[in-house]
Amino acid sequence: MDERNKQIAYKVIAIMYFLTFFAIVSILLYRQFVLRQELSDYEDIAIILTINSLFLISALLYFGAIPIRRLKVKRILLIYVVWVVVGSLFTYAYNNIFQSPGLSFKQLFDKFIIIVAITGIIMGFWILLSILGKKRLDKELE
Amino acid sequence: MENIKLKIARVEKGLSQQDLADLVSATRQTIGLIEKGKYNPSLNLCIKIAKILDRTLNDLFWYETKE
Repeated sequence: MDERNKQIAYKVIAIMYFLTFFAIVSILLYRQFVLRQELSDYEDIAIILTINSLFLISALLYFGAIPIRRLKVKRILLIYVVWVVVGSLFTYAYNNIFQSPGLSFKQLFDKFIIIVAITGIIMGFWILLSILGKKRLDKELE
Repeated sequence: MENIKLKIARVEKGLSQQDLADLVSATRQTIGLIEKGKYNPSLNLCIKIAKILDRTLNDLFWYETKE
């Protein structure tokens, strides 16, 4: 296997990975919103998919596939806020628009706190990996 | 863009595409595609090929663009 074979193999594997990924996401959304299945029916697939995508982004950040020249606090905060807002809106829509009776304000607030915390933890993890990845590359350049 | 320079250098050295491929640990198809200009080899592979053919990278892979 020479470099061209490897390049083709990597490309095909990457395309197949994303096709599989989007197929599973589509199936999950279909089961969730069309078939109205319980979360417990597809929880295992959802967990695998979530962990998989989190690790994918982590690896891309650590190995330098996502170019980050400097970590800007303003941009990080913006991404964090957008993520929290989208997550909160999705949670609200899922629980109070697509299902009835919806959640009470207290229950929604509890979920909001979870979204804020988990988003913070994930972003903190990614920032840490970005810093470690950058250090690793700087070390290689020494 | 076809790489005639590489093809000429290989033939002058008396090597077939398969011979060159074996010497640089590549496949015949890869050498063929490089000569046809349909695959951009890595710098490492370019250097290996240049060394085997006793040429410089400029001799094999540089071409002037028409103004």
